[in-house]
Amino acid sequence: MDISLIQKTIEKDGIVFLTYGGFLSQPLIASMMGALEKETETNELSMGVSNNIFTIFIELSQNMMNYSKSSEENSNDPKPEGLLVVSRDEDKNYMIDSQNIISLEDKQKIEPRLIEVQSLNKASLKKRYRELRRSGREKHAKGGGIGFFEIAKRCDKIEFDMKKINENKFYFHITTYIQSNKEKEEV
Amino acid sequence: MDNLNIKATQYTPKIDFDATGTFSLVGKSYPENTFEFYEPMMNWVKAYFEKDTPAKTTVNIEITYFNSSSSKLFFDFFDLLEENNEENEIVVNWIYDEENESAEEAGEDFIEDFENLNINLVTK
Repeated sequence: MDISLIQKTIEKDGIVFLTYGGFLSQPLIASMMGALEKETETNELSMGVSNNIFTIFIELSQNMMNYSKSSEENSNDPKPEGLLVVSRDEDKNYMIDSQNIISLEDKQKIEPRLIEVQSLNKASLKKRYRELRRSGREKHAKGGGIGFFEIAKRCDKIEFDMKKINENKFYFHITTYIQSNKEKEEV
Repeated sequence: MDNLNIKATQYTPKIDFDATGTFSLVGKSYPENTFEFYEPMMNWVKAYFEKDTPAKTTVNIEITYFNSSSSKLFFDFFDLLEENNEENEIVVNWIYDEENESAEEAGEDFIEDFENLNINLVTK
């Protein structure tokens, strides 16, 4: 697995709160949430910033649990595993990274959505989020189809990268940046 | 009709819906399968409005943080309350810590989305 991007993030003056690589389950996510709650308390983060970190972490880890696949080209069987890193840089900006394997089909669904959220400002994100939540158009068995909008609403920047493994599988790496000393300037 | 009582877990809220008209939802909400988890609650509420509904229903919601599918579920829940709003008096209290800006914003959005529902923002 290519973790060089994540490694660079960590090495760049970062303090890592939490890293996990491997099989994911709901009780494990809940335990990691417990650890994150402890960290945000210890570091006296505001409730707003803490909750943004919690929600983004939940969205990313549950996506990973629900949609990860094995790297095998001809199998679309789920394989709920990947890599999760929560870190902080010297300016007290927080980063949450996740990497897992997705199918071509999911890539085609996710990529346009991520490009859309990257292009929207906070007000437009909020508007689209509410439209999609109301219509339930993207709703499916496990989610409301608004996860990436939820993430984008709560962070300052999203970067992502999809690296081809074979014709049917891709490494999906996403980095979300959360500023901790942000004022409520933009509405 | 029986009351609905579901204990909290690390990732699901405590649900106490009393057939005499007080509903309470307290905790965190990020179930593994949100719609499946809340199905008994939604079914209970549908049955509650079907007959012998008390004159007034008070809904107290105090959720510290929640995932996006729970946000969609709460939307569907409010939708169900709004549908029954004409024949019943329904008051929703959206309760949050005053420092919890994201919970406040979520409450404000619900107020805008459900103009016909009486939703109060309540800080604790």
